[in-house]
Amino acid sequence: MQHDEKGALALAARGVTKRFPGVVANDQVNFDLARGEVHTLLGENGAGKSTLASVLCGLYRPEVGQVVRDGKEIRLNSPRDGLAHGIAMVHQHFRLVDRFTVAENVVLGHKSLSFVLATAEIEAKVAAITEKFGLPLDPRAVVGELSAGERQRVEIVKALYQGAEILLLDEPTALLAPPEVEKLFITVRAMTHVGKSVVFVSHKLGEVVDISDRITVMRGGKVTGSVRRGEADVRRLAELMVGREINIVPRRAKLPTSDVLLSVSQVHLERDGVELLSDINLEVRAGEIVGVAGVAGNGQRDLAEVVAGLQTPQQGNVTVCGTPTARSGARGARGARRAGLAYVPEDRLGTGLAPSLSIVDNMVLTRERGFLVDRKSALVESEQFIKQLEIKTPGPLTPTRKLSGGNSQKVLLARELFAVSGARVLVVCSPTRGLDVGAVEAVHTLLDEARDAGKAILMISEDLDEVMTLADRVMVLYRGHITLEQSGNDADLDRVGRAMAGIA
Amino acid sequence: MIILGRRVRMEQRLSTPRLLLFLVPVFSVFLALVVGGVFLAATGHSPIGTYLDLIDNGYTSFYGITDTLGLATPLICTGLAAAFAFRMNLYSIGQEGQMYLGMIGGAWAGIAIADSLPQLVAVPFVLLAGAATGAAWIALPAFLRARLGTSEIVSTLLLNYVALNLLNYLIFGSTGFFRDPTTSFPQGRLVADSARLSPISFFTDKVTNTYPTFLIAVILAVVLFWLMRVSNYGYETAVYADSPNTARYAGMNSAWLQSSVLLVSGALAGVGGAMYVVGPAGKVDPGLLQVGLGYAGIVVAALARYNFIAVIVAAVLFAGLRTGGNALQISNDPVPIAIAVVLQGAVLLFALGGELFRRNKIIITRVQVAT
Repeated sequence: MQHDEKGALALAARGVTKRFPGVVANDQVNFDLARGEVHTLLGENGAGKSTLASVLCGLYRPEVGQVVRDGKEIRLNSPRDGLAHGIAMVHQHFRLVDRFTVAENVVLGHKSLSFVLATAEIEAKVAAITEKFGLPLDPRAVVGELSAGERQRVEIVKALYQGAEILLLDEPTALLAPPEVEKLFITVRAMTHVGKSVVFVSHKLGEVVDISDRITVMRGGKVTGSVRRGEADVRRLAELMVGREINIVPRRAKLPTSDVLLSVSQVHLERDGVELLSDINLEVRAGEIVGVAGVAGNGQRDLAEVVAGLQTPQQGNVTVCGTPTARSGARGARGARRAGLAYVPEDRLGTGLAPSLSIVDNMVLTRERGFLVDRKSALVESEQFIKQLEIKTPGPLTPTRKLSGGNSQKVLLARELFAVSGARVLVVCSPTRGLDVGAVEAVHTLLDEARDAGKAILMISEDLDEVMTLADRVMVLYRGHITLEQSGNDADLDRVGRAMAGIA
Repeated sequence: MIILGRRVRMEQRLSTPRLLLFLVPVFSVFLALVVGGVFLAATGHSPIGTYLDLIDNGYTSFYGITDTLGLATPLICTGLAAAFAFRMNLYSIGQEGQMYLGMIGGAWAGIAIADSLPQLVAVPFVLLAGAATGAAWIALPAFLRARLGTSEIVSTLLLNYVALNLLNYLIFGSTGFFRDPTTSFPQGRLVADSARLSPISFFTDKVTNTYPTFLIAVILAVVLFWLMRVSNYGYETAVYADSPNTARYAGMNSAWLQSSVLLVSGALAGVGGAMYVVGPAGKVDPGLLQVGLGYAGIVVAALARYNFIAVIVAAVLFAGLRTGGNALQISNDPVPIAIAVVLQGAVLLFALGGELFRRNKIIITRVQVAT
């Protein structure tokens, strides 16, 4: 039989179109996957790759087009139908029960469960799978205590336990540190070795080139190109992704820097006995951007929160425009803001903005307020920002959750850059995460202009390209330590990358 | 869910059409009346006749509406108390107990001043004393919630039983300060005359059950509505309710916000109890108070969707159902009180169930036959 051979067509999408209100997420997309193949779907956020994967696993039903498995058209009404055809998806946001053990999570939702769980039998089977595919896991461990990488392994084991032949991995490396990415790749190879197929959904160019047999690039809901192993040229792929020639023109300070506005010295932070930040020293001068690069989870958020006054370090000092802000009695976040600090957190809608409140109400969030809230001036301000920054919204009274990522980020940046009176120091975290190309450009321009206006900007970002493009000085944060510091112009991509991975 | 070969599913609405805001409650009440009608017909009563009777006894007759407004007075307070806490996602269900304590505190103040103060000072003093004791009764749950994250649902509920027994003890179990010393019959000692208000007669010479405290309750609701809209405190609670992380980011003090909201909620319920002292009771009177107005306040708040102005309307509607229902028992065609309670329950159930349709779209599609 044809489909038993390695290399035979396992799964395909034919002319798939999927619409959501206001967007065509997939526009007549064709895609195929051979047995034993790793086929990557590459594209920017919003390119439609996750939608296609969701169609392939049965989560979404396409308006037009077919899903073909082993040469026959199949209709999938739910992920359960997909599973019946051996198709499983591992979502970016894990769907596990924290209080259950690994084994319990693996069998969760499985149809043929006895009333009393045959725990020992299940655990043995789980252990066999973990061994076969190089997924180190203790079946009895409680999921709530596992790291992101381990949780992902639980999801993969779950899919394999249920008999998946085709595995769709949605942004599987987003939460992983480099060594965990390596382990994941070993698992992927082990799976393809026994004839299983993997669809790898990613927006990270660099890492997919190694693992993929084939890379299909999507943009704006359409497939823009497809290359085989060996033909993959990073530059060409990037252009397919972005849809134009990219020239990463570094933007640096145009004016000489002056006074030190933000200084962090010998900061040490621990929580529950775990060291989160250790001996952090940095200075940011007026008119420069200092970029802190690093893989997620190496202390970025803690560093930002210490500087913003939201966490008090056990040792060390933070000084904003000459005012010490990190010691107890410094009145936390409000104290730091009064000293001249503005802060754009990574989680814009759940932290930087109140999602159900209007743009106007969000404008006054970090402002000094009296007994009554002055919404009149905030309304004028909002209208001005909407015009000036081309924020797409029905009006200033629209709740911020109804705005797109780019537009809500503009609201947040507008407030922190301009509306907070007197803020001369800005801390931004992953300012362009999840934004489309146009919005990235707009945000970078705003930051560049703020730098030229004499602000001192500390930019903490997981996006290395972003740091390399904007920062006058580059630092690397690894396991709570600053392990590298270079000037932006001399920064060597290779060295920075290795420092991020913890290789000296 | 599959019904008659159609797949029925729900999708959350991004925004609610204005028409639905109006149609859903109206349709909910209508359905509740239909359900109540079935019960009435089954027990041999004419549904239409009974409803007309109920409306007359609850809303349109002179004594009906004045009784209703009188009952609505404390109900507005407990409704405000529940709405105030619930909109901050703090689910205090201690309004019942806080109201009892408000009566005790109010009666203490009213007895203690012993006609030494003019009415203009004495009445507010009694009401404030009720507010203070109501707030004090929620202080422990508020502290536990803000500092240790203990569920306020359980702690406030448990304190209701303590309050109930305290109230009964003061009158039936002891002969202390609150007990009338002139008789051996267990009843409360009357407060000073200057601490009481006379009922509103509405330009007639009739004695009604509506007291000026009704106006105080309405003013309280309006002031609260306005203050929470324009004040910084209202803003901070709105941010916290929407996203605690955002509140933390903005440097707001979440422990203070949580505990202060609960304290204000307790104070509002306490004022409701004190209004009984100023108005109809004039003393600690367990029998008059123990009709579940605290729990009904939760219902009122839910019906009003936590809107303070709507609480006034919901409280009057709800009070009318109860006074009308009570009156049905003594009408020409006596309807058991249980039926009136069924009706109240049905209105609530349908009104809350209607929320589902306000928040979600119902989408019906044909089931595709799998090939």
